[in-house]
Amino acid sequence: MILLEPNSYVLEETLYARFTSEKHELVDITLVDFDNVIYHVQSVDGQRSLLTLSVEMKYYNEVLAYGAEEILHCEYGDYLVPVTNSQYQITLQFNLEQLPQDKAALAKHVSMLKRNVLASPFLRAFEYWESQQEGAGPLMATHYRDDEAIYVQAQQDRVTVIFSTLFKEEVDRVLGKVFLQEFVDARRQASIQNAPQVFYSSREAPLEIRHLQGLKQDESVGYVSFVLFPRHFADPEVREKTISQIQLFRDYLHYHIKCAKAYMHSRMRTRVQDFLKVINRAKPDRTTVAAEKRTATGRYFRPQFRQSASTSPQTEGGEW
Amino acid sequence: MSKLPPVVIDNGTGYTKMGFAGNNDPQFVIPTAIGLPNQSRYGIASKRGIEDLDFHIGDEAMTNSKTYGVSYPIRHGQIDNWDHMERYWEQSIFKYMRCEPEDHYFLLTEPPLNAPENREQMAEIFFESFNVQGLYIAVQAVLALAASWTAKNSQQTLTGTVIDSGDGVTHVIPVAEGYVLGSSIKHIPIAGRDITAFVQQLMREHGETKIPPEDSLEIARRIKEQYSYTCHDMSKEFQNFDADPVKYFKSFDAVNSVNQQTYKVDVGYERFLAPEIFFNPELVSSDFLTPLPEVVDNCIQVSPIDTRRGLYNNIVLSGGSTMFKDFGKRLQRDIKRIVDGRVKKSEELSGGRLQAKPIDVSVVAHKKQRHAVWFGGSIMACTDQFYQFSHTKAEYEEHGPSICRHNRVFESLA
Repeated sequence: MILLEPNSYVLEETLYARFTSEKHELVDITLVDFDNVIYHVQSVDGQRSLLTLSVEMKYYNEVLAYGAEEILHCEYGDYLVPVTNSQYQITLQFNLEQLPQDKAALAKHVSMLKRNVLASPFLRAFEYWESQQEGAGPLMATHYRDDEAIYVQAQQDRVTVIFSTLFKEEVDRVLGKVFLQEFVDARRQASIQNAPQVFYSSREAPLEIRHLQGLKQDESVGYVSFVLFPRHFADPEVREKTISQIQLFRDYLHYHIKCAKAYMHSRMRTRVQDFLKVINRAKPDRTTVAAEKRTATGRYFRPQFRQSASTSPQTEGGEW
Repeated sequence: MSKLPPVVIDNGTGYTKMGFAGNNDPQFVIPTAIGLPNQSRYGIASKRGIEDLDFHIGDEAMTNSKTYGVSYPIRHGQIDNWDHMERYWEQSIFKYMRCEPEDHYFLLTEPPLNAPENREQMAEIFFESFNVQGLYIAVQAVLALAASWTAKNSQQTLTGTVIDSGDGVTHVIPVAEGYVLGSSIKHIPIAGRDITAFVQQLMREHGETKIPPEDSLEIARRIKEQYSYTCHDMSKEFQNFDADPVKYFKSFDAVNSVNQQTYKVDVGYERFLAPEIFFNPELVSSDFLTPLPEVVDNCIQVSPIDTRRGLYNNIVLSGGSTMFKDFGKRLQRDIKRIVDGRVKKSEELSGGRLQAKPIDVSVVAHKKQRHAVWFGGSIMACTDQFYQFSHTKAEYEEHGPSICRHNRVFESLA
């Protein structure tokens, strides 16, 4: 698995199981998605055929300004209901007896909810580019995690996306730096010339967002900027793909840092095993001489002192 | 303290159960199998690209088994291949559970008598690779006890005998105040797989020729799960069957996996004979002949004397092979019979001078038996104490993996 899926697999599976079950059981399930998104799947009291999905998304109020609500209405209009619990920002309700034929597709579509909501600043930026206005568009920030944010800004001929990400661990920071440097370098290869341009800076914020207040300025912060050109978003299909992939970039990065560590651990383990082999080879082999002498019944004949030396591991270890 | 629910992962030999704490059922139950590309034998250092990400876990490993070699990283409940296990966790966290491990606490499980080195390895992987906020490694039997608290007749203690019967092996584990009495653990080589094989054999014997050989095992498994029950008395049950065949004999509609035709399979004595092999192991095995109630009794008899009453009083079932109807009742009756017999005998021997206080035997069955260990973990991880007892990242960095040798639940005892 190289890329992370844009949809939430666990949400899709959970909903699909509910949609297809013949008995409408009472359910109360809490699920989590990347970036502190919490889903709560629950059946309505007294009406078992109704299933609600409440979503807690801290940055929802921010993306509201970028048109997230229109997207929600457009994508999930039939199921959208007013929010009843202030903990949640979005609530969908499904009537299990009046579901469309293709339940798998519906489950999949609903599991894309987080992706669709977070697509709003990107879509807004692409629209700005389409409207052919002079100068740079507004800088749209989404604080998708406590200390991390995505900034999207449309310019006349391109859209800039800046991620700020936080490394809690020293090791992660180093690995992240190498990884992102590779990212920048890899683009020089001819085969991926069409990929968006990537810049990486740690500590120093890129010029586009340097004027913002309250930016963290220390070693643990890294900034990754992508420059998207019209070839990445002019075509509607490519545009959807671009959005899906770019918004998961932070999780993608952290996933690969973890994979890199796992890989290094497996190399360490192999190396330890190799060394152990070498050490074990250094043990003198004592059994060969004794093995040749056998008694009439087929048992090995060994002088008494030999036997005690080779059968008990303690003395063997002690000798060398 | 994080507000996000902790992640509970129970890696078993056959299946991995994982989900978020607070839920009633695990979100995923997938085989503990990892499918790796076949040519990886060139050695790990020959990697040039991203070959280390090219693998599947769970059901996907099974479906891709033609192009990928399937390996099972857990053997007999203990992790055998740490490389594979680390990658298995990597994908289960990022793909299946879809959470950022840095934001969560984790609850993992270990079999009883697990070596502390294994626990340290686990901690190393979770703290070093995944940077988890906190980790708690619980013993499966203790979680199964916690899961039984949902039962109506439960006493909500952490003292009891756990009968854990999964696919491969059945364990009887006595636990006193949350502490596993390692020296008294008993194993029985009869579990789900043997029952299925037994049902399969019975069907073959009564001439179900319509079942294609490749479907035979699967159909035996489904018949076992749908129709089996535990009877009071084997010979009486045979008479019942013969007296009223219409009521007792069932018929199972099966579909041929190749040509999709339906056919009927008669289900007869195997309905009650399947669970019966726990009580009469001579039905299937020639070398293991001790019935389950006797094993449980032996197990409690070799435990410390002051814990025995508690152990008899709270016998908890866990695992899929304990799900047979009335399994708990039968077990309770048989154990009670053994115990009462012994008490009576000792009273007789004393010539009527001693009167023993009767021993309560109670077997607790509950609705969450199948994934009891996971469910117990889910309950435990919801409590406030969970965060107190977990080992945090800061502690790990201060002391290293050896913190996992110490369990803070028992702090007051030390």
